[in-house]
Amino acid sequence: MDIISQLQEQVNTIAALAFNTFGTLQRDAPPVRLSPNYRDPVAPLSDDTINIAEQPKLMSAALVQAAKQFDMLVSALPLSEGGEEAQFRRITELEAENEAVGEELQMQLEAAEEELRQVQELFKQAADNCLNLKRPD
Amino acid sequence: MATSSSYPPPPPFYRLYADYQEDAKSAPEPPPPVQGAYPLFGANYTTEDVLPTLEDQGVRQLYPKGPNIDYKKELKALNRDLQLHLLELADVLVERPSQYARRVEDISLIFKNLHHLLNSLRPHQARATLIHILELQIQRRRQAVEDIKRRREEAQRLLKESLQILDGHPN
Repeated sequence: MDIISQLQEQVNTIAALAFNTFGTLQRDAPPVRLSPNYRDPVAPLSDDTINIAEQPKLMSAALVQAAKQFDMLVSALPLSEGGEEAQFRRITELEAENEAVGEELQMQLEAAEEELRQVQELFKQAADNCLNLKRPD
Repeated sequence: MATSSSYPPPPPFYRLYADYQEDAKSAPEPPPPVQGAYPLFGANYTTEDVLPTLEDQGVRQLYPKGPNIDYKKELKALNRDLQLHLLELADVLVERPSQYARRVEDISLIFKNLHHLLNSLRPHQARATLIHILELQIQRRRQAVEDIKRRREEAQRLLKESLQILDGHPN
């Protein structure tokens, strides 16, 4: 995939990681004490709660990793300085050069075809002479 | 009747081409290509392919305008902004959860700017691809010229040799 598409994919990945992170946190957050008049809510210690404590770390690490990947891709962009006009100038130069080389190729082709025709003519004459010299036994 | 039936018949102008094989001029020419804007199934499309600016879409532009944008710098700056905004959103959700909407809007604004910047890189990529293709073509043509020159010289050499051989055996 070309680098701009990779960058676009990376942006979408960062967005997906972000909303998945927030969604998971909101979904799995344990109950919290809101007022001093009520007791602390009971949070049973089990495998789930241990996983719930680990998840923010893993997800935020993934998010930061994705952001670093994006930075790396941005650094790898092959952006030549000079902008639009420089590119247009280079394109016109290359077109002129292409034209010149194309004409030279055409000349060479025509000369080669002429020589081929001459060789074929010579071969035809040689073959005719051979046939004329051979006496039927 | 044709607009209300569920299987409308094909458009009737095929009859105009009945004698096309014998006389090419008896049937009408195809219509010229559409120019400018045209409506299609209720939506308006344009024949010009131009990326609409962010203002056209009603989105605030966060990176500086100007003829030459330093894409790498702006992309990295937007990335950092995005991370900061995500952290802010996490903070707001902890402290003042009812004020999430503004933060979410800011984050989506940053994403729109990011995508618009990346899309505006595409014309540059197209020109770079064209340059690459032209360079490859020039290289291939030069190679072909060299090949033909070599073969021609080889053929001349063989011809001279064979003429020498023939002259060496006068019959």
